Amino acid sequence: MSLAAFELLVDGETRKISVEAREGALTVREGERVLEAEVRRISASELRLRVGDRSVRIFLARDGERTFIAVDGRPYVVSEPRVEAGRPGEADDKAAGGSLRIRAPMPGKVTKLAVAEGQRVRRNQTLVIVEAMKMENEIKTSIDGVVAKVHVAVGDLVDAERPLIEIEKEPASS
Amino acid sequence: MFRKILIANRGEIAVRVIKACREMGLASVAVFSEADADALHVRLADEAVPLGPPPAAESYLHMGKIVAAARATGAEAIHPGYGFLAENAAFARLCETEGLVFIGPNSAALELVGDKVRARQTMAKAGIPTVPGMTSCSASPDEFLAAARALGYPVMVKASAGGGGKGMRIVADGDGLEPALEAGRREARSAFGDGSVYLEKCIEEPRHVEFQVLAGNDGRTVHLFERECSIQRRHQKILEESPSPALDPGLRREMGETAVRAMRAAGYTNAGTVEFLLDKDRRFYFLEVNARLQVEHPVTELVTGVDLVRQQILIASGAPLALRQEDLAQRGHAIECRIYAEDPKSNFLPSAGRIVFLREPKGPGIRFDNGVAEGFEVPVYYDPILAKLIVWAEDREAARRRMAAALEDCVILGIHTTAGFLGDVVDHPEFRAGRATTAFIGKHFASWGTGEDEEFRKRLALAAAAFESLSPGRAPAGAAGPGRNKDAATPWTTLGRWRAGGEP
Repeated sequence: MSLAAFELLVDGETRKISVEAREGALTVREGERVLEAEVRRISASELRLRVGDRSVRIFLARDGERTFIAVDGRPYVVSEPRVEAGRPGEADDKAAGGSLRIRAPMPGKVTKLAVAEGQRVRRNQTLVIVEAMKMENEIKTSIDGVVAKVHVAVGDLVDAERPLIEIEKEPASS
Repeated sequence: MFRKILIANRGEIAVRVIKACREMGLASVAVFSEADADALHVRLADEAVPLGPPPAAESYLHMGKIVAAARATGAEAIHPGYGFLAENAAFARLCETEGLVFIGPNSAALELVGDKVRARQTMAKAGIPTVPGMTSCSASPDEFLAAARALGYPVMVKASAGGGGKGMRIVADGDGLEPALEAGRREARSAFGDGSVYLEKCIEEPRHVEFQVLAGNDGRTVHLFERECSIQRRHQKILEESPSPALDPGLRREMGETAVRAMRAAGYTNAGTVEFLLDKDRRFYFLEVNARLQVEHPVTELVTGVDLVRQQILIASGAPLALRQEDLAQRGHAIECRIYAEDPKSNFLPSAGRIVFLREPKGPGIRFDNGVAEGFEVPVYYDPILAKLIVWAEDREAARRRMAAALEDCVILGIHTTAGFLGDVVDHPEFRAGRATTAFIGKHFASWGTGEDEEFRKRLALAAAAFESLSPGRAPAGAAGPGRNKDAATPWTTLGRWRAGGEP
């Protein structure tokens, strides 16, 4: 028998669980919630879990520090908290001062810059367009503010997570 | 018949054509960009010719390099697949002048149907119902505004050279027109090298029903029934089926005959598809001709038993069309799901990266047209389609259940895919009832990836990751990255901050 506590990121969300593993059985506790499962290893990359009367198929593969897991065909990324699992579009950093750093949601090419430094922007305004796999993706701001910094130019190839634009939150005024 | 065919494409469709060549005893030549050196189509072809840098304009869209590759390898014909050069009349003409056979329609018909505006005019003249819209692309901003007002909002911006939803925008009012035109032009220019756009009346909540056609060089033309393609996101299909639950035998016959008439009006040869919109009152309108093999061609193959790629090659080689309309029938029901490298939880954003694990679904009535292998790095440069899962069964409900099970068996890890999302699509009551229109995804799946089931699965994912780190039988590290040694793969480094005997 072994018991261990984990702090893990699943799809970018931090979760604290404890897991108790006995012969063929698993008890997972998360806060008040308890989940009991029978577990059967099918192969190095496949597990079968029985929860109540439900049978669940799980496939796993690791890539570096991330573990990719399919649960009944639905994919999840699990990693430890310091590894950013990074779901595209949720890569914005909100700093303490209320400023916003907007990062590229995926690798691609900057095809349009819709704002310039010093420009005032409104929530949901398109800032920049990044094209990847022949699709245009409009990157918008989630806050009202002023463009503090533009890190890219039209034609730049950008990697995922690369900072594109910084927005300074507009100071509250009357 | 040819002896050797070059396939000017990549991914699953290149693999599909290479397999047809092998069955017909023809040698196959693959072409590839630097991003695809390890790709499946390169491994499967008899020969493979590098095209150069990854951007499509310098590789798969570069006509000169592709013709040179055909020359160098002695290929007599070029199969363009879909996308890239498939509907490029200039390329078809170049092949003709270079003495190569373009496996597709004749260049005059291709040119006609490829120009959406001219195609609409031709069809209207032939008495085929079309969606009301502009008859020219070269309008001034004021003329666009006037046309939109005359058609009545909502209107649709469409690329004249269009296809695959590229360059398309729905405009709800006058304020939205100019930005939509601009975005449509930019996207059209980058996708097709032609930024011409025009406006059409937006038929609200239509069904998208298309008819597969085969036309011989002597003008004999047959249709192979319909494909229902209403399940779309971003105006791009993600699930198709045949027969369509929306048609009855009378409407099917009428639309099929109209499709054949449309292709005759265009002087069309080889395989092509006539797309229709079907409105709430079961009126149908000609939308466009897809002058190529369609992504969704396998559903037609499964219900009719006709190998469309083989037919394309036969017609291109000069053989007469051997099929007669009265011999063709639909049998059973087929459904296709497109597995895209996209994240359904983030508005279907493309998801490039490495495939660390791949498990192909198998079983009776299951076909998996796959373009990728484990370890492959999905590049950012091309259309994000990875594979297609197609099932056949005796009736629609049996096919639907078979698809649901097969999707759970189709495991691709390392990047986001649409497989799980599609599992919920085929499970949805509206889809089950056969009532889905093109508005289906937007209406019912806006908040997909939340809710009780999702939370349950997330907790099991966490449990599985934790169990994995506690139990000895480790999941194979999908080829650890450079600089990682075996010792690094321990619970301490992969799952930090854990304490034995810790409190819950």
